[in-house]
Amino acid sequence: MRSAFAYTPRRGALQAASPGAAVVYLGALVAVAFLYSTPLVLIAVGAAGTLAGYLAGAGRAVRAALWLGLAIALPIVVVNALVVDRGATVLARLGEWPLFGQVNVTAEAIADGAVFGLRAVVVMIAFGVYSACVDPDRVLRALRPIAGRSALTATLVSRLVPVTAADAGRLRDAGRLRGPAAAPLGRAALLRRLLAGSLDRAVDAAATLELRGYSLEPPRPRQLVERFSPPRWGKSFNGASRFDGRFYAAGGIVLVSAVVAKSLGADGFDAYPTIELGIEPATLALSALIVLAGLAPWRRHA
Amino acid sequence: MRCRSMAVAIALFAAALATAGCGLGPGEDVGEVSLTVTRDYGAEPVLAPLADEVSESDTVMRVLERDAEIATRYGGGFVQSIDGLEADERFGRSFDWFFYVDGVESTVGAADYPLHGGEAIWWDYRDWSAAMRVPAVVGSWPEPFLHGYDGRRRSVAVECLGGGAACGAVRGTLARAGADVEPESGVDAVSNSAQGAIRVLVGPWAQLRRDSAAAQIENGPQASGVFADFEGNGAGARLVGLGVDGKPALTFGPGAGLVAATRRYDAPPTWLVTGVDQAGVEAAAGLLDRADLRDRYAVATEGGEETPLPVR
Repeated sequence: MRSAFAYTPRRGALQAASPGAAVVYLGALVAVAFLYSTPLVLIAVGAAGTLAGYLAGAGRAVRAALWLGLAIALPIVVVNALVVDRGATVLARLGEWPLFGQVNVTAEAIADGAVFGLRAVVVMIAFGVYSACVDPDRVLRALRPIAGRSALTATLVSRLVPVTAADAGRLRDAGRLRGPAAAPLGRAALLRRLLAGSLDRAVDAAATLELRGYSLEPPRPRQLVERFSPPRWGKSFNGASRFDGRFYAAGGIVLVSAVVAKSLGADGFDAYPTIELGIEPATLALSALIVLAGLAPWRRHA
Repeated sequence: MRCRSMAVAIALFAAALATAGCGLGPGEDVGEVSLTVTRDYGAEPVLAPLADEVSESDTVMRVLERDAEIATRYGGGFVQSIDGLEADERFGRSFDWFFYVDGVESTVGAADYPLHGGEAIWWDYRDWSAAMRVPAVVGSWPEPFLHGYDGRRRSVAVECLGGGAACGAVRGTLARAGADVEPESGVDAVSNSAQGAIRVLVGPWAQLRRDSAAAQIENGPQASGVFADFEGNGAGARLVGLGVDGKPALTFGPGAGLVAATRRYDAPPTWLVTGVDQAGVEAAAGLLDRADLRDRYAVATEGGEETPLPVR
């Protein structure tokens, strides 16, 4: 079964947009999540990511990201509550623990951990949408003129890791097919075989790259664009998309508004020494704007 | 059967938690602490001194939060402002909030300093450009002699280094204040102080300067935390009061005395009751009371007049 985060080509605006536009758009949401601690803004970022994901047809990725984010968030809340003994409101005293010392659970530490957890969920959603909607090959192709070797390494890794995982599945199946009387296939033996196979494949890949001239100087960016970007749906010849403008605009507006609102005091959350949550008009306006930005992938004719 | 085992396990776990001092809420009251908030080396009060009941989960930070308007930074571990007086940098000088518990600077943050009842907490907002660390102060008298520090009561070793009659006076004053003073081991001799005892050195500076903790004063306030220095020898000896910038501000002549506290590494605090001569030592010994020492880092005296140090 394909991973929920695997890129799936669709006729969506986010999928058609150039990698740069998609990265600016989703990156702006992630940047706001790191810039703010106010739960309202973080929830707005999560809502925008969810909306964008569903509009781009990546609902499965959003749900998977949500669960994964919650799985990360819950331990963050628990560990923060146990490790951080700050805050004025002591809810429970758990005595002396090895390594932790005196453990007091405070409402402030729980709230602080919850904000960290919420941030993790929100960032996971944005990355889930990115992963499911942005073609990794196009991203790597866009990176190639800037960092050719890194792009090549990333390409090889993104190809060879799934191949190795498939190899592992095949070897495990083969092991099971030997019958119930056969000794179980140990992990060490499996890893040894996988490593040998990977090395063989790496030598083959290196030889192929050599034959295709990868050791030569990379062609100039314009030549690359012409060679690797044939016209496709929703795209002009030079790799740009007619949807790029809206994603650049949405990302830019969100980021600039977030910075301006922050300077106006929109981030009114403090966990310590007591929980303080100030919801200013700027916080509400920014949150509404962020949620609206989640509509950017919307298309009238899907 | 399985349910019963689970219930027994939960009951045992709950019993273990209860035995380990666990429970809901902040816990039972353990006593009272005093809270003093000042600025500029104790020169001006920021809050009226008050006493507060503390519970078993209370820390220095929680007490402060209850009794003052504060803002914190770095995840609630660092006090940024108290009643609007904010840590700052002005004219190239740094101002911050520092706290002392029983007259001893803490090695941990206020949020991590547990209270047991009876402590004297002193927050002071000061310019720390000349001395970032002032490891001990005299302004919480009779602490640390009464309740010790770091949650443990300590005995007090009075070391008479040529202090003469002042040694007896200091011993008497400490005993009357309720300190656990170690037995005298002989005139002009260093007592066999117990491990971890708070030392009180009594004698003229010419004698005290041989002690490694006291000698830190000669390396300036950045080493000792004491804004004072001594110049000259014999009849020409002088006590120099330093300003907040660590530079000489006032010179005290014959008969000048000094009461100060310092600390060498993690050793217990060392109090100095000293002077440029015997008269100075006796004058310094007379300063050991709440009225003369309250909210002061160190005090110099000359001709019956006290001067808080650093000199302002």
